Amino acid sequence: MTALHDLTIAEAAPLLKAKKLSPVELTASYLSRIEAFDGQLNAFIRVLPEQAMAAARKAEGEIMRGDYKGPLHGVPIGLKDIYNTKGIPTTGHSALYKDHVPEEDATTTRLLAEAGTILLGKLSTWEFAIGGTSFDLPWPPAKNPWNLAHDPAGSSSGSGAAIAAGLAMGSMGTDTGGSIRGPAAWCGISGLKPTYGLVSRRGILPLSFSLDHGGPMCWTSEDCALMMEVLAQHDPLDPGSADVAKPDFAGSRQKDVKGLRIGVVRHFFESDAETDPEIKAGIEAALVTFRELGCAVTDVTLSPLSAYGDAAALISRSEAFAFHEETLMATPELYGELARQRIMMGAFIRACDYVNALRERGRLIAEIASVFESVDVLICPTMPGVAPKLGDLGNMMSRSRPSFTRVFNLTGSPALSVCSGFSTAGLPLNMQIVGRPFQDDLVLRVGSAFEKATSYRDLRPAQWAQQALAAE
Amino acid sequence: MTGDPTLLTIREASTLIAERKLSPVELTKACIARTEALDATLSTYVAFTPELALDAARAAEAEIGTSGPRGPMHGIPVGLKDIYDTAGVATTAHSNLLKSRVPAEDAFTVTKLRESGAVITGKLGTFEFAIGGPSFDLFTLPARNPWDPARTTGGSSSGSGAAVAAGMVLGATGSDTGASIRSPSSLCGLAGIKPTYGLLSRRGILPLSQSLDHAGPMCWTVEDAALMLQAMVGHDPLDPACADVAVPDFTEKLDETVKGKTIGVIRHFHETDHEAAPPVLAAIEQAIAVYRSLGCVIKEVTLPPLMDFAAVGLIIMSSEAFAIHEADLRATPELYGEIARDRISMGGLLTGADYVQALRRRQELCAAVAEAMIGVDVLLTAGSPFPAQPIDNVPKWLMYQKPSITMPFNVTGLPALALCAGYEPGTGLPVAMQLVGHPFAETTVFQLGHAYEQATQWRATRPALLAA
Amino acid sequence: MSETISTEAFQVLLDRAGIRVKPEHMEEMRSAFMLLQAMRERVRKPRGYDAEPAHIFAPMGR
Repeated sequence: MTALHDLTIAEAAPLLKAKKLSPVELTASYLSRIEAFDGQLNAFIRVLPEQAMAAARKAEGEIMRGDYKGPLHGVPIGLKDIYNTKGIPTTGHSALYKDHVPEEDATTTRLLAEAGTILLGKLSTWEFAIGGTSFDLPWPPAKNPWNLAHDPAGSSSGSGAAIAAGLAMGSMGTDTGGSIRGPAAWCGISGLKPTYGLVSRRGILPLSFSLDHGGPMCWTSEDCALMMEVLAQHDPLDPGSADVAKPDFAGSRQKDVKGLRIGVVRHFFESDAETDPEIKAGIEAALVTFRELGCAVTDVTLSPLSAYGDAAALISRSEAFAFHEETLMATPELYGELARQRIMMGAFIRACDYVNALRERGRLIAEIASVFESVDVLICPTMPGVAPKLGDLGNMMSRSRPSFTRVFNLTGSPALSVCSGFSTAGLPLNMQIVGRPFQDDLVLRVGSAFEKATSYRDLRPAQWAQQALAAE
Repeated sequence: MTGDPTLLTIREASTLIAERKLSPVELTKACIARTEALDATLSTYVAFTPELALDAARAAEAEIGTSGPRGPMHGIPVGLKDIYDTAGVATTAHSNLLKSRVPAEDAFTVTKLRESGAVITGKLGTFEFAIGGPSFDLFTLPARNPWDPARTTGGSSSGSGAAVAAGMVLGATGSDTGASIRSPSSLCGLAGIKPTYGLLSRRGILPLSQSLDHAGPMCWTVEDAALMLQAMVGHDPLDPACADVAVPDFTEKLDETVKGKTIGVIRHFHETDHEAAPPVLAAIEQAIAVYRSLGCVIKEVTLPPLMDFAAVGLIIMSSEAFAIHEADLRATPELYGEIARDRISMGGLLTGADYVQALRRRQELCAAVAEAMIGVDVLLTAGSPFPAQPIDNVPKWLMYQKPSITMPFNVTGLPALALCAGYEPGTGLPVAMQLVGHPFAETTVFQLGHAYEQATQWRATRPALLAA
Repeated sequence: MSETISTEAFQVLLDRAGIRVKPEHMEEMRSAFMLLQAMRERVRKPRGYDAEPAHIFAPMGR
């Protein structure tokens, strides 16, 4: 039998339901792995062993009684430490919020608990989801499980690292400019930024409200779909929450991708942004796979990447500064340098720049909607390269490399990052799959079809496995 | 018919037209004659187009003769604020910057009005770009108040207010970003409604501030405003803010009793937050007494301070307006009048965070008003805190000094009707109140406004100028 | 946020906005801006990070 920590949610769920796998046994296994390895990885800010074991026993009791809640029942997960947890500190990985203990759960925290998940702990993040990778915070930054000398990307860095390292079966990240998809890409997992409004942000520390999204990160896209089945709920307490019918995640799992029309945004990675040859090769290989699966592949054209990047930057910096200005003015020393510098930029943006960025956003949304009249999903890279060395991230972020991910925060489109192979250095390659608003199920179906048609999901971090073996 | 047809309401005129007792051509000619007699005094039009109006009136007459009227607006002369695009006819926003701008297409609402058979008489004066006025440094003079030509009409739909009060047209379009339909309606003694945000398309109307701009009608009576609004309404997918809602018959409740309706008086708005002049306060008390006598339940409602709404509105408006005008203001500031230039420029000094904070406060204010309106059918406060001021003495920064009493309903998007509540003793200047409804509950607002007009005599009095 | 602003600081804001103000209007504009400062202050209420969001954004298809 596969090791417990190598099970996907989709594999574990039937075992849990059939009482062949005990939530207590599963949780204990994850807690001992965290105990053994997180000292090197720094994926967790706070582990909750007693609470997790209590929840596991409760889940076991419920399942034994026949009160099975669904595929997440008994599944150990982690939350990025900007998700409010009642009675448990929620720090934003910041000295400013070191002692912040929320009085209420985030809506998503509650939904996951009600679905029977077991909360293992709170995961590290870039400070307030913006300042990273930082070395001047109360907790160290997370490392990349594929090579501990490398960066896992951010801001949902702990969420990505924990999944890849087998320290949780599912995790929650947030994504304002790529913060779910970036770590998913560099950690070689599946991460979905859902359609804007599909998943509640109530009780998640905001960065930039009109660009913020919460979403799942798992080993497979299929597992993300199982998480989304629980997460996609209208929430009147989030004014951005959409009151729409839930996408058919369950039905979509049964369907194939034959006949789907795939649009490749080739100019994004061939001319707009410098992209590593290995990433490009990964995309081309994936397109071959999709053709074999019966998809029609064509190239499409959108506005240049920089058009999205500029509008998104003006919006996110303005909104972030509005949220932080009071504390930033009062106690700047409680912010790390990167968060302080990045948020501070918002002070220099004029109101008319923000308004014009919103107007530009409207134009770009209309443009992408017209492209989606002739294709069902878009494909481009998630990140222009593989994970750099920890500490080298600054060099990765420049105007010659405008972000592939921010595009879809601006348009609100559902966007999934999947692993599209490995570089010669053994680091994960990446690909982004993007759909029409509220067709998150289709995006996950395409990701899942790709994962099943390839063998990249069979490979866990090699270095990690060796260390694990050595430790055992 | 006998008598002066320009003083008919739209309802009366359309009834006579349907009965073939009044000819649209005769009515239009009377409005043209009225305009020719008074426009030198009132400076109402930026571009008066009597020939086009007569062509339209003749076409209406012919069609009505063979197949009857399309509806109550068929053959009715109406004017357009000169920020409503008209195909082939200059649309200038009363600004030197756009003096020779001729749009290729009609605004969506202008198309709707033409489809209703309305006779369009021309383009009416406005504050420059719906924000700067009354200004004496533009290519035409500002409109003057028919009740006293030495006084302002209020703005920005200034020509619209003057033209309807003076009987030059039976209705006019206005637009309202902070007060611009309700202020001239109040100061000129009309009924003007700023409908719910999203009810009317703004496509083809020059924008001032996208998230606060509203289009709407200005007429002599509440009933007429309902009829004209009906002709302007329709879903327009090309205005991203236009709501796709079922449209009621806005006149359907006009004859229903208002007994048992609850009116929430926002006393602190007009008594303390922006203390209204004594004749306005007295008129509001009298109006409350009228509603009581009609069987309405009166209660007092407390909202957040008026200044909070004013601050949110001013920051949003200034930011959005500057975003629209930045390039022209930098390139050719001399093509703006002083008041518009100075007011719009102020938006350039705000930060993105100011705008975001104003949006956050806007949401809190919307929630507070929604909660205060539970169990209330309409809110009531002053339409303007004061009657018309001398035209040469309107403070440029009034909105900065005193909180606007109309802005709260641009900020919340609620439908707000200004209607005449009497006349100041001595001067005879109109005073006004505002009735504010739930989102898309225009019919209830019209019902209560109409009931008040029916119970009072104010609609029988026209400006003395008209008798001269 | 101070409700007063020096002539120099005000000029910086004007420059950033690209606005030219005639010298004779300068004091009037600066006085008006101080009233606007009070309004900027007014829209800033004490709020936690989890205060209700700034506004909503609707992607196409909603």
